[in-house]
Order: sequence, then structure tokens, then C-alpha cells
Amino acid sequence: MTQTVAEAPISTEREGARPEQQSCGGRVPILTTHALTKQFGALRAVDELDIEVCKGDIFGFLGPNGAGKTTVIRMVLGLIHPTSGHAEVCGHRVPGEMQGALRHVGGFVDDPTFYPLMNARRNLRLLGSMTGPVSEERIDEVLDIVDLRDRAEDRVGGFSHGMKQRLGIAQALLHRPELIVLDEPTSGLDPRGMKDVRELIRELGASGTTVFLSSHLLHEVEQVCTRAVIIDRGKVVVQGPVSELRPQSDAVKVLTADQGKAADTLRAQFGAGSVLEDEGFLIVQAGEDAVPEMVRRLVADGVDVRAVVPAPEQGLEDFFLELTGTDDAGRAAPAKRRAGLARVLHGGRR
Amino acid sequence: MSPAAAPPAAHGSTGPRMHGHAWGSLRREWIKLLFQRRSYLIWGGAFLIPFLIALAFYLTRHNPESGGGGPAFVEGITSNGMFVTLAALFLLIGFLLPLAAAMVAGYMIAGEAELGTLRIVLLRPTGRGSFVLAKWTIAMAYLGFGFLLMLASGLLFGGIFFGLHPIVTFSGTTVGVWHGLGLIVFSILFGLAGMACIVSMALFFSTLTDSSLTALIATIVIYIVITVLIQFSYFDWLRPWVFPYYLQDFTNFFRDPIYWRPILKGLGVFAAWSGVLTFAAYLVFRRKDVLS
Repeated sequence: MTQTVAEAPISTEREGARPEQQSCGGRVPILTTHALTKQFGALRAVDELDIEVCKGDIFGFLGPNGAGKTTVIRMVLGLIHPTSGHAEVCGHRVPGEMQGALRHVGGFVDDPTFYPLMNARRNLRLLGSMTGPVSEERIDEVLDIVDLRDRAEDRVGGFSHGMKQRLGIAQALLHRPELIVLDEPTSGLDPRGMKDVRELIRELGASGTTVFLSSHLLHEVEQVCTRAVIIDRGKVVVQGPVSELRPQSDAVKVLTADQGKAADTLRAQFGAGSVLEDEGFLIVQAGEDAVPEMVRRLVADGVDVRAVVPAPEQGLEDFFLELTGTDDAGRAAPAKRRAGLARVLHGGRR
Repeated sequence: MSPAAAPPAAHGSTGPRMHGHAWGSLRREWIKLLFQRRSYLIWGGAFLIPFLIALAFYLTRHNPESGGGGPAFVEGITSNGMFVTLAALFLLIGFLLPLAAAMVAGYMIAGEAELGTLRIVLLRPTGRGSFVLAKWTIAMAYLGFGFLLMLASGLLFGGIFFGLHPIVTFSGTTVGVWHGLGLIVFSILFGLAGMACIVSMALFFSTLTDSSLTALIATIVIYIVITVLIQFSYFDWLRPWVFPYYLQDFTNFFRDPIYWRPILKGLGVFAAWSGVLTFAAYLVFRRKDVLS
């Protein structure tokens, strides 16, 4: 509760300026984007995006639908050309040195697709041979990793969506790339498959492989990733270590006999800018040190205080929704909420 | 999934070496073609049509009302099986062969985009230029194999039904069977060169769209429009510049001496059309945003 986010090495765009590049803390940056921008007609899908993925990261790439995640991945992998800006992938400037970069990268964008009349092994052999020689042993190895060895001779056309996802991971691993880019790899998998893929991603990270994981499953990112970025409308909203990404809330829940009067007192005498009601409690931004003073003011004003407890920390999911500021219908979150969040992000006091 | 299986080490492994030999690219594209059902349909047609021509002429050989139309070698089939391949080429080069060429080349890039494999293939370190070139080469190789089947089928069934004999040229001289076979092979190669224009055009459209059908239709429509336009005397000025005008000039191989001028002019026009369109395909594909 005492640590403010201002102390954590995360950056945001809440104050209008582009966030400073994150330091990899002695580690080598393996994927960086520099003011990467993509314009489709009138739509600015990606807007001067700066992200930095460090070697060994399992990097979560989060954003709501239409935030520009896939466009960024396509630019980083050379499938589409940026309108301006560039990326650096494994030391190669993209799009200029795309072929050099792709020798160190494996992955897939959207759903992995294969030649339906070929079997899994032949697909891997064909795709693998485009990067360099691939032995049958290596093909067996990656098929083992994704648990498709016994289906190696079956036509991919007959594979389920989940099996194709796994085969997509297998082809990404073929050449032991330094960087693996996975676009929603657990999409369409059953719970067991999802668990296995996450486990595999963790193991890849543990072995030193950098993983760039695009996902809309926030708990997946929380479980698997070491660092993450959240983007919205093509811009970085926040990026940093996942453990520090979630704001450290200094809110407390206050239960009194007269919530209305208590709220007035807190606003008028305690200077609380934001007093919200939540399930019978008042939520007040008050750090640990400020609680005694707050209680004294309430009691002095004749309000019986029955309980003061820490407000639970926000989950990354709530945080994500707050940051991206959209509800299911894509409507913007109330400005007050967003402003309050910005305060939290910057560690500001009331 | 076997999470326990150790994932590969990221470093210290033998790094991926550049293996993008032209031969490797061509081999991969050829394998892809072999794993498409339509490939066998077109090849089957190329083999079947000379047989059907030979059979039709064989069944109607005693009918005094049959025959008529086309150059002498079409009517000469009943007396010499050597002409079956030439008759097939003459009959097909106007529409069916361009259609087949447009189908194959139109699918090359747009078909992969349709299937979704384009985005996974382009994540491999293959240059887009060599990718386009490999596609063009394989489309031509595919058609070349189709022409070879047509040649083989024509000779086989022509020989079975009518026998293979020395050829009487349009100039009235006679050339031996092997000489005649050489002229037929040259005719086939000339037809193939003409199809390079269609392949390049379809490949160009294939880079513009994510629908192979659209690429096919665009190519055929343009081909038909050109072919129709040059039928009108008003467009006489256009004829020397458009490739459909030269497609049947392989018949000039059957003059003695060979009438090279229209043949060489035709080859020049084929090269120009094919070169420009293939380069245009490369330019478009090099900057294409792959969104499929």
C-alpha cells in the first residue's frame, strides 16, 4: 500500500507526452519500436508507438479489440509497412532488414494456417526449409512439444482449430528462434490445452527465449508474462513489469452509521476529491498515514466510524478496463474515472 | 501437449543458415502445386484433349461432310498422327490454354492469401522478389509440363489412330518424322512463350487482390477485350503491339524455309509483355501490406 506507482518503472501516456523508452536494466533489447505509425486512409491504427521488449522477457501485449495489436505485430514481422517510424528486431532494422530479422524470429499472426492437403510433418518440412535445413528429428521434437507427434502423418485439413494452433507453435519453434511472436496462441483451445500452452511459454522463457505474447486474456498475461504493455487506439497506455503494472491502490473502505454525512465531511474537511459508494462502503483515497486523521475528522463531526479497511487491489482486468476506458459497447469510460486513474498511475496525492 | 519436453535452447544452437537457394524455392512451390487438386485436373485435360481430337477425327474419317476449317494440319490429321498435337495447340491456344494459365498464375499469390498461408510463408526469410519470381517460374513450369503432356498424348494417340509419318509443310516440301517432331516442339515452346504473358498478367492481378477468382477474371477479361479489339480494322494499329495477335504464329514453323520474322517479332512482344507485367507484379508485391 505504501509503494506508489511513481516508484515503479512503468510508463504511461497519460500526460500527453510519449513515454520514455523502458530500460532493459542491462539486458539487451530484442524488439523495439520507434514512433511506429500506421495509417489506413483516415484511420490511424497505430500512433507513434514505442515499446521495448528485452531479451528473456515473456512480454504481454494487451489491448481491446481494434487497439492495433495485430497491426503492430504485422509491422514488426514485415507483413505490412509502417507509414512512419520503424522497429528493431534482433538487431535488424525493420522493414529495411526484414530478412535478417526473420532469421531470428518465429511465430504466427492471427490463426496459423497451413496447406490443408499436406500432412503436419510435410507442412513443417516445407515451412522449415524456408529458413534453413530442418532435420526430421527436429520436426519430431517440435511435434512432441506440442503433442502432435501421433498426428504427424494426418492431413492438416482435418485438424481442429486447437490442433492448428499447436502446429502453429511447432512451426514457430522449428529453428530455435531468439524471439517468438505469438498472436493469441490459446485462442480456441480447451482449458487443458490453454494450460499446456501457458506452461510451454513459461518454459520457453525459462530457457532464455524471448516471447512476445499478444493476448486478450488478461489473467493469461498476469500468469505468464514478466513484462507487458497495454495499448489502446494505437498508443501505449502503460508498459512495465507485470508485477508492478497493477496500480498500488491507497484507497480505504469506510463504514459509518451515516454514509451521506460522512461523505460530506470527507469532502469538506478531509479534502477527499473522490468519495465513491460501493456496496455500502465509502471508498476514499487515503494512504495509511492519513487514516487516523480521517477518522478523527469524522468523529469530530459526529460521524460514528464502524470500520476502516483497505480497499482490495485492482486486478489487471479492472485496470485494463479502466485504462482502455471502454465498456462492452466501446463507449468511453467517464472522464473522472480516467482522471482518477491517471492520478493513481502517477502516484499523485489528492 | 508435453510441457515437460524441454523447449529448444535459444542460443548456442547452430544458427539458421541462409538456405534460400533458388532451387529450394522452386522445389517448395512445385510441391505446393502437387498438393492442389486443380493441378491434376488441368494436366488431365491437357492429356485428354489430344486423345479426344484424335478419336473424333478417327470416328468421322469416312464422313465426307466432316473436316473443313483451320490450317491444313487440322485436316491432315486423318493422314498423319503427327498433326494431332498441332491441332490441339491450334484449337486450345485461343482460349483454354490462356484460361488454364490464368487459373494457375492467378492462384499463385492471391490463392495463398485466400488460404491464409501467405502470412505464414512471409514470416520466413524469403525475399518478396524471389518469392514472386519463384511463383512465375513454377507457373511456367506447370504449364510446360501441361504442354509436354499434350505433346505426348498427341503423338501417342495420333500414332495409334493414324500413324506417324513425314510432314508435308505449307510450302509443299516434306520433312522427316524427327525433323517434324522438332518443329512441333518449337511450336509448343512458342505457345508456351505466349502463355508467359498470361501468366505474368495473372500474377500481377494476383498481387493486387486476395481473391484468385478476381485475378483470373481480370486476366481473362483483358485478354478477351484485346482479342476482340484486334478483330476490328479500326484497331489495326494496335495489332503489332499486343500478344494475342501472335499466338498462332507457331504455324510459321511449318513453312520451308521457316518464316522467322513473325515468330521473332512475336517472341519479342511476348518478352516485353511478360517482363513488364512480372516487374509490375514485383513492384506491387514488394510494398503490399499483407492483411489476409
